[in-house]
Amino acid sequence: MTQLSLMVDLDRCIGCKTCIVACRNANDLTDHEAMPGQMPHYLRVESVREGVFPNLSLTSRVIPCQHCKNAQCIKACDSDAITKDPGTGIVHIDTDKCNGAKACMEACPYDVIQFDELNGHAHKCDMCSAKIAMGEEPVCVESCLTDALSFGEKELLKQSALDAGKEIVKKMSAQSVLYVRTPA
Amino acid sequence: MERNGWTPTACYQCKAECAILVRVEDGVVKEIKGNPKGRGKACVKGMAGVSLQYNPDRLTHPLKRVGKRGEGKFERISWDEAMDIMADKLTDLKERGEAHKFTASFFPHSITDPKWRFLDAYGGFINTALPHCDSAKILSFIKAMGGVPNHHIPPAFDTVPKGGIMIMAGRHAFGCLDDAAVPRDILNAKERGAKLVVIDPLFTADAAKADWWIPIKPAGDTALFLGMINHIVTNELYNKKFVENWIREGDFDKLKEYIADKTPQAMSVICDVSAKNIVKLADMCAAAPSVGIDSFKGIMLGQAMDFGHAWTMLLAVTGNIDNPGGQPLPSLTPMSPVEPIPTGPDLSELGWHRTGPNRDMFDNYGFIMEPTWYEAQAIKDDGLKMLLVSECNPAMTEMGQDEWRKAVCMAGEGDEEYKLELMVSYELMLSETSKYADLVLPDKSYFERWELMYMPWWYNFGQGILLRQPVVEAAGECRHSNEVFIELGKRLTPEYFDFKDDLEFYDIQLAGLGLSVEKLLEMGGIWTTGTMGFRKYEQAGGFGTPSGKVHLYWEDLEAVDQAMPRPGLAAEYEVDVDKYPFILVSYRTIFHQGSGQWTHNNPQLRDPVSGMYDNPVLINTAKAVELGIANGDVITLRSRTGEVQARAKLSERIRPDCLGLHHGFGSTIGRVAVTGDGVSDNALIPDSGSTLEWQDMVGGESHVSTRVSIV
Repeated sequence: MTQLSLMVDLDRCIGCKTCIVACRNANDLTDHEAMPGQMPHYLRVESVREGVFPNLSLTSRVIPCQHCKNAQCIKACDSDAITKDPGTGIVHIDTDKCNGAKACMEACPYDVIQFDELNGHAHKCDMCSAKIAMGEEPVCVESCLTDALSFGEKELLKQSALDAGKEIVKKMSAQSVLYVRTPA
Repeated sequence: MERNGWTPTACYQCKAECAILVRVEDGVVKEIKGNPKGRGKACVKGMAGVSLQYNPDRLTHPLKRVGKRGEGKFERISWDEAMDIMADKLTDLKERGEAHKFTASFFPHSITDPKWRFLDAYGGFINTALPHCDSAKILSFIKAMGGVPNHHIPPAFDTVPKGGIMIMAGRHAFGCLDDAAVPRDILNAKERGAKLVVIDPLFTADAAKADWWIPIKPAGDTALFLGMINHIVTNELYNKKFVENWIREGDFDKLKEYIADKTPQAMSVICDVSAKNIVKLADMCAAAPSVGIDSFKGIMLGQAMDFGHAWTMLLAVTGNIDNPGGQPLPSLTPMSPVEPIPTGPDLSELGWHRTGPNRDMFDNYGFIMEPTWYEAQAIKDDGLKMLLVSECNPAMTEMGQDEWRKAVCMAGEGDEEYKLELMVSYELMLSETSKYADLVLPDKSYFERWELMYMPWWYNFGQGILLRQPVVEAAGECRHSNEVFIELGKRLTPEYFDFKDDLEFYDIQLAGLGLSVEKLLEMGGIWTTGTMGFRKYEQAGGFGTPSGKVHLYWEDLEAVDQAMPRPGLAAEYEVDVDKYPFILVSYRTIFHQGSGQWTHNNPQLRDPVSGMYDNPVLINTAKAVELGIANGDVITLRSRTGEVQARAKLSERIRPDCLGLHHGFGSTIGRVAVTGDGVSDNALIPDSGSTLEWQDMVGGESHVSTRVSIV
């Protein structure tokens, strides 16, 4: 199997959102006229706080497109605009083929697909394919403030996590993005 | 200017000024990242610099007030007219013998700043928020250890050994206000086996990664540290070698005597940390290979000098000074002087905190700049006649902001419309403060200007220089304040400005290191010795104190009963406890810095997805339920001097006796800044000039917080 992947170390993600802005800048999503809440974003951060004062825990994690194994967005698209690249495992939206039906957005269980109203097409994280092709890392990995993100072949990421004594959080890692942490 | 590709320069989204790379495409800033030749990181604020640069609210030409101060009505004028207005007022003041009544307020981010030179040459004062932030700590460190008047110096987290202790006392280090590399370095140290202890009334992002979170009572940190010192000293757990060799003779005995009754049990009552936990933390620190303490003023202050004192004592008795993982002592980079050297006016004689009716109150106040918090009072006392505010926002950042606004609008006598005769706001975008200005000048952003920075307070601690260079052309008629001050200098004090421009000014200073701006550019904009060094006092034959040893006892403060640190809470927390049962905690996040428009009027940093939009008041869930307050209810907070309405957010992350507001919200100007539930914490905090007796008169302004009630 070939699957390029991102791995999020929950021990290190502090929910700072640096990757979100870096991703916007790199992918030309930064809109200088937009008001808060209007700018597209390929990433979002979810933070879950548990417990009661003063016994608390907080888990923050970044959520990009999960580049699903059997992607719902691909099934939902009736214009064959979405494909999973067999050479990398990356799920791509061909914006030229996209008819703007938004069916993929409704089908996506991770709510990560964005819509370009001006040009009438859906778009999302492609794991910075253009950068990868030049031997570079995706911008979220490169910009991560705490080095919580890593990039590579999924099997190798998994191996490096286990070698470092981390566990894979299965509930979060159902698709191609891995979430790992030190076992409790 | 065509600079396609990545160019090294310096961020200025906050005062950390990290080394960054900026990608420009067809003359437009597109991307930002940390410079790997620096510490390699840029935070979310830094990344959002792109949205600052192209903010539709950017000022592009000078403006002159047409309505009343505070109305925010302006008309466009030329730079020539603006320069004449400033030069005429400066000449007028000088001729009246009142040059010292001119103050420029800006962050003194480098002593190579030509603005500072102008002030020294002309006879005016610099003022900065430093007296708010950490002057007490700076003074504590100078008194205890000597050395340069360093700004906040956090531990060098990349030097913390396995088993080392990192203590954050009311410090949001993950906010990156020291360097964007700090969170990475702390987490790396943790992976090496160091321990992170966060002492804070609020469960912060730092606390979420801590091995131990101690939700202390605000201002309780001095008592906590004294309790720890008591345990360490009485049980002989202190670093005997350091104490014998490097603490001034007699001081350790005085400390022993002083802390005899500061037992963990006694201190526990003050700080609300159990005696058992005080002992546990003390034992951890005594046994660890290093202890580094990061704080600013401490936890919501009030007795900042006492806290700084207790902090240095804890470092001294555990021997954690200038060692890996401990408290670094910075060195100054040797730069060449620019002759002739202007001396500047005598702050202790002419400073406006010295010329009003409160002057006796300041007898022990020993800082090197004017305290911003006294601005309002100085205007009322006719001690301040011209104020230029650059890159700061006193109309919102001053405690008792209404009093500041009132003072700025007070009517003058004779021909003068206002007591404060000329108010200039030098900004990227109109701010709350601009609304009160007679002149608003359009600044160049940090992507458009040159600046040479060498700062002993940088997180890299060692000697170093960072060059900020323009990567794109400035919009409209923007001019950098340094260029304008050099021009004013050439007009008013030409003997001190006998150089062509800012670049030649920097070249003269760089000559001492065999460098020039051109050479620095060839080197990638950074120069460093590559090391910070450790235990430099051994090599130097001692510390920079008069005795060459660490001073624990401060005899010069005997008269004000501060020769040893007082364990009590801040004065503002001790009064009216029944009437105002909550302590307001003014907290920070990584998304915003101060109250400046560069983050608060930034669409990415106010975006709920990539920043922080609203500023609800945090209230402990159980306490809210007890009071019948539900999530989202609009509640009224009242302090002794102010009242605000805010939406309640029930949260487990705050102590039941505290309420939390993020600092810096509540702007009434700026396309983005005005949106959302923005509430300003400073609307509740009493004016500093009217509460001098509460303040730490040896260390600086103290209260950034206050007691409040829910009406």
